[in-house]
Amino acid sequence: MSYAYLFKYIIIGDTGVGKSCLLLQFTDKRFQPVHDLTIGVEFGARMITIDNKPIKLQIWDTAGQESFRSITRSYYRGAAGALLVYDITRRETFNHLASWLEDARQHANANMTIMLIGNKCDLAHRRAVSTEEGEQFAKEHGLIFMEASAKTAQNVEEAFIKTAATIYKKIQDGLFDVSNESYGIKVGYGGIPGPSGGRDGPSAAGRGCCN
Amino acid sequence: MKMDLMSGYKGVVGLVFGNENSSNEDRYVERLLDRINNGKLPDDRRNAITELQAVVSENRAFQLAFGAMGLPIMLSVLKEERNDVEMVRGALETLVSALTPINHAKGSSNEVQPDLMNTDLLSREAESIPLLLSLLEEDDFYVRYYTLQILTALLSNSRQRLQETILTIPRGITRLMDMLMDREVIRNEALLLLTHLTREAEEIQKIVVFEGAYEKIFSIIREEGNSDGGVVVQDCLELLNNLIRSNASNQVLLRETIGLDSLILILKLRGSSYSFTQQKTINLLSALETIKLLLKGGSEADPGKDANKQTNKTVLVQKKVLDHLLILGVESQWVPVAVRCAALRCIGDLIAGDSKNLDLLASKVLGEEPQVEPALNSLLRIILRTSSMQEFIAADYVFKNFCEKNADGQAMLASTLIPQPYSMNHSFLDEDVNMSFGSMLLHGLTLGENNGDLETCSRAASVLSHILKDNLQCKERVLRIQIEASMQTLGASEPLMHRMVKYLALASSMKSKDGKSNATGNSYVQAIILKLLVTWLADCPNAVHCFLDARPHLTYLLELVSNLSETVCIRGFSAVVLGECVIYNKSTDSGKDAFSIVDLISQKVGLSSYFLKFDEMHKSFVFANVESSLTHRSFSRSSAASMADIQEIDENDLSEKKNMDHPVLSSILDSYFVNFVKRLEEDIRQQIVEVYSRPKTNVAVVPAEIEQKSGESDGEYIKRLKAFVENQHSEIQDLVLRNATLAEDLAKTGSSFQSEQRGSGGIDRVQIETLRRDFQEASKRLEMLKAEKAKIESEANMYQNLAGKMEADLRSLSDAYNSLEQSNLQLENEVKALRGEGVSTFPDVEAIKAEAREEALKESEGELNDLLVCLGQEQSKVDRLSARLLELGEDVDQLLEGIGDDAGAAEDGDDEEDAE
Repeated sequence: MSYAYLFKYIIIGDTGVGKSCLLLQFTDKRFQPVHDLTIGVEFGARMITIDNKPIKLQIWDTAGQESFRSITRSYYRGAAGALLVYDITRRETFNHLASWLEDARQHANANMTIMLIGNKCDLAHRRAVSTEEGEQFAKEHGLIFMEASAKTAQNVEEAFIKTAATIYKKIQDGLFDVSNESYGIKVGYGGIPGPSGGRDGPSAAGRGCCN
Repeated sequence: MKMDLMSGYKGVVGLVFGNENSSNEDRYVERLLDRINNGKLPDDRRNAITELQAVVSENRAFQLAFGAMGLPIMLSVLKEERNDVEMVRGALETLVSALTPINHAKGSSNEVQPDLMNTDLLSREAESIPLLLSLLEEDDFYVRYYTLQILTALLSNSRQRLQETILTIPRGITRLMDMLMDREVIRNEALLLLTHLTREAEEIQKIVVFEGAYEKIFSIIREEGNSDGGVVVQDCLELLNNLIRSNASNQVLLRETIGLDSLILILKLRGSSYSFTQQKTINLLSALETIKLLLKGGSEADPGKDANKQTNKTVLVQKKVLDHLLILGVESQWVPVAVRCAALRCIGDLIAGDSKNLDLLASKVLGEEPQVEPALNSLLRIILRTSSMQEFIAADYVFKNFCEKNADGQAMLASTLIPQPYSMNHSFLDEDVNMSFGSMLLHGLTLGENNGDLETCSRAASVLSHILKDNLQCKERVLRIQIEASMQTLGASEPLMHRMVKYLALASSMKSKDGKSNATGNSYVQAIILKLLVTWLADCPNAVHCFLDARPHLTYLLELVSNLSETVCIRGFSAVVLGECVIYNKSTDSGKDAFSIVDLISQKVGLSSYFLKFDEMHKSFVFANVESSLTHRSFSRSSAASMADIQEIDENDLSEKKNMDHPVLSSILDSYFVNFVKRLEEDIRQQIVEVYSRPKTNVAVVPAEIEQKSGESDGEYIKRLKAFVENQHSEIQDLVLRNATLAEDLAKTGSSFQSEQRGSGGIDRVQIETLRRDFQEASKRLEMLKAEKAKIESEANMYQNLAGKMEADLRSLSDAYNSLEQSNLQLENEVKALRGEGVSTFPDVEAIKAEAREEALKESEGELNDLLVCLGQEQSKVDRLSARLLELGEDVDQLLEGIGDDAGAAEDGDDEEDAE
């Protein structure tokens, strides 16, 4: 249960692009062809290792439907990372990326790491958005980009881990005040964190107690 | 605009309260509001707001007046005077006062409560919530403090509206969560607010958890000293429980992120303090509630609930939760009973349907060497000896769950059921840890023999019924247990089951003796024993056989079914036991087979009345309420509450259910048993129909048997057929009897009238039928006799008339004769007188006589001549006719012979008649 860091992720994007399937593939290593519509927000967690440090990922998978937007927005601020997902076989999901991004910029903290994922790349024959377009969009908005398939698990692991690695690097670079949990990053506790630390406790204090 | 609003509110207020006494306050408040709104000097405005707050906080009338006019003005102050902290504080404090109930002179309940009205008005102001949330970011402590209080007041009165609004405000919940990191006073307020906010709102619960609520909650609990902490610990746990109640996703998160160690830590009793403060009790109860919620896994509707529940169990057991629960529930008798019960229930939930945990509990040994004993024995001791009904129920729940679908565990317990010699039963000590489970249980079962302690007996019976449930082997095994008769009675030993039936009867007789006052006192004793019987007989023909072995059992049961002074449940259970005697009956002895039982039921109770018992039972309060209302109850937060309150919680809980049946019943009637009884009922109905639709096997018509067998003499053949026909005849009689009973039932069902006191209707019915036939026959005969009688009467009449006539004739004849005789006598006398005196007095008498004679002679001569002429004529006729007849060949002499005789005979008859 002990970890060096805990990162909170959110997964956002239009309904039906495969957000829940990506999460399921990442946490349970399985694919469910028919997935119920997500109501509100669902939760998943997994431990990964970066730089030989155990890192816990807490992932909130949000409902893509417009009616849940006000609920899902509540999760933006506290997240360290976001997977912004579109469906390469449905052009409109790509076209909506800008509005998703705007939402994220407005409600999330400025340092949130966003990974753009073109999902369903196993369906190349039905592709409606080229890889280059995706790359282009990511470049323009300063996002990391990957095409992935929740069905074949291609790049799924990589997407989550690469995002974590980016966040980890930002921490190393001192971009975050890790004692402020509102950034979606928590320093792990081997046992118990010190007396509920003031907001300005030393940022590296927690690191000693994890292995 | 503002004036419009004000007049609008005023109108409402005026309508509601009348104008006469509110006008003063209205005017006063209006003036103050005007100063606040339009004042030029900041100090004056501040003074006005202080004054306003003062009056609003003291008087309901001012509260009302303020609510009617002041809200928009206060909100505009909050919006536009952000930099004037004093004004903002004043406005907020005034709002707090307007929303706080003022408790002087408890008004009647239908009186308008200004605080509620004001909260409603404020929560309807669209801009109020975002405005208030934004105020939470102010630096001033009081601003945040008052704002939280206002939000809490709004939440407690208009929760749903506020929950919906807060969800639409970006970062609304985040801002509230930040308050948990604020200084203590604010933090505690925020805890309360979040507790309200998270109630029954899944999305909010998730966001709150996302914002790190768990970490904050447990860090506060730790700081406050876990279960030894104050009311803040209670608030934390209540918030925690809100977050995981019916929310599997949040339970996963709790498990996955911070783990359950911190929770277990709260259950740990530190030191050896034997005294429990009220707060500690409530804290522990709250933590046990958390465990219970985790063991539930989530809301019923959640498909992932079961998997989540299982994982929760596994993790909890890994964290040694069972040990802590056993310490709280079993080992530490100084722990308040409410906590003990809650811990026991958690143990029950922990082992339910989990073979690993079942084994774990079975292997637990409590106490310290050498005074160690299995945990299950300690639990049984609690059941048998506790004075708290709640504790009995809670411990019983553990056994119920331990035995359910745990054949090995049942067998393990049943294997220790070995009767001890009577003397030993007496000498043992309750505290003896070396006593086996079975000895303890048997001792509990038969304790009633000596001191009428049926309560202990019924508790033991409850445990026994768990051990027997669905386990044929255990049932058979326990059937073989013979209980020695007590010293006093010195009778032969009897099967344990018979002893139980005896106690059942004893319980009802005790009840009837005690009278109404204690009517419910023993009804659960009966119910538990009946439940034991229901469980025992199920699917176990040998048990049925054993039960029917004693004839009075059946009679008693039949009586119990239709005994109106018993509760619906008792009657229903008795009906179920009867039904089991039918469906699980493999007996072929007449009088004990399924046919006879059905006949008895239909004769003594009536089938429809019998089935009515089931319906009544299902409709009864206890049955209908099984598994309903699992609404949670939070503990009173008042620290002034005494220990008595916690006890009261239990008692209230009991009294809520106390309708007509004993509260224990609702725990005995777990859903498993209720469903079991429902299934049984279906089987019973089916089996009874079956019994009625099939003749007894010995009279079944097998065509081959009707034929004469080879080598069978005619005489034998006839004899056999005769016997066969006789059998069939008696079967037909039976059938007619049943048919009659059934028809009667049917007829009764139609009418709403339901008679409980019906005798053996069937037999009567048939007897009446024969009597009616006899009667008809008799009356027919009577009719015939009547007709005959009428005929005879008329005949008699006729004869009477005839006789009358004859008598009259006779009289006239005799009269005539008399007169004749008289005249004759007179004449004779005359003659005598004439003769005597004739010579002297009447010398001419002879002459007269001669004269008369001569005259008569002359007359006669004339007549004679006439006659002779006639005769001559006749003679000539005769001659002529004779000649003619001769011609025709007739023998005339023969023909005429006897003519004279005839005339003579006729003359004789007449003479005779005259003589009469």
